[in-house]
Amino acid sequence: MDTDDRDLITSLKDDSTREYAFQMLVKKYQERLYWHIRKIVMNHDDADDVLQNTFVKVWRSIEGFREESTLYTWLYRIATNESLTLINSNKKRNFISTNETSEFLMGNLTSDPYFDGDEIQMKLQEAILQLPEKQRIVFNMKYFDEMKYEDMSEILDTSVGALKASFHHAAKKIEEYFKNKD
Amino acid sequence: MGKMDESKNKFSELSNLKKGQPFRVPNHYFDDFSARLQNKLDAESMKVPEPQNLIIRVLKPALGLAASFALILMLVYWPLKLFTPKEMVDNTNLGNEFIDYEYRTMVEGMDENSFYVLLSEPVQKVEISDDDLLNYLSASISDYDVYIGTDY
Repeated sequence: MDTDDRDLITSLKDDSTREYAFQMLVKKYQERLYWHIRKIVMNHDDADDVLQNTFVKVWRSIEGFREESTLYTWLYRIATNESLTLINSNKKRNFISTNETSEFLMGNLTSDPYFDGDEIQMKLQEAILQLPEKQRIVFNMKYFDEMKYEDMSEILDTSVGALKASFHHAAKKIEEYFKNKD
Repeated sequence: MGKMDESKNKFSELSNLKKGQPFRVPNHYFDDFSARLQNKLDAESMKVPEPQNLIIRVLKPALGLAASFALILMLVYWPLKLFTPKEMVDNTNLGNEFIDYEYRTMVEGMDENSFYVLLSEPVQKVEISDDDLLNYLSASISDYDVYIGTDY
């Protein structure tokens, strides 16, 4: 854990500096967490809700943070779980089955006014949405965020070997998708 | 060979894709986020959980139990009552009712004097001798009846 984060945690656990430290934490991580969430839920409004819920959860549970993982992986873990919770509750509300998840998320993407991608990027997102949930998250974290497998392992509670295999399968499937679409 | 080259081209197409975010956010979204988050946290801290009424808290288990019994009664007793044929229920008192009816008809048919005489009469024991009984039987039952009534 870097020194900044360690200082931040110390300040967050101290009542007199807690609010200021929390503002610092939000400033430092809001963008990274937002893009991570956005790639899972696919539209801005949902990403905004999830980001707020993530920080509310952090505010409520920071005193119980045992520092067994780094602050950064802990935040990503909360954000990932909150994103998946939102997707599942939206699916339940709209009576969407697991098989229809990719269509549902594709609908989220196409109806989002804040998508600026060109045709190729749209096709890539389509291909990513065909992947199973876990592979999709692994692919996004590796391909777009270039995150280390060790950090991903802490966030997703999965072994490094399994993550590498997952990324490999995901890349193959996307490649196949591009081949079949042309 | 040609197919392999094609596949390679496709893969390089994927590798050469712009890795930049195809998404964007509304203007000043990240500048305003802290303030909006603070508003949400303030609103949440204002929400004080309502203390439950003490009486309700004490009575809750008892009420729950009572409601469970009522539900069981409703689910078991009521369908039983509803689906049991009416005749089966009524037949249980039929014998007594029939005897009562016979007795009432007989009493109602008597005049008042006969009724009081009957009440005041001592119950007489009628004694029948063995000879009387044999005479009665031999007059009423033929030899054939006696024969078919015999087991061997």
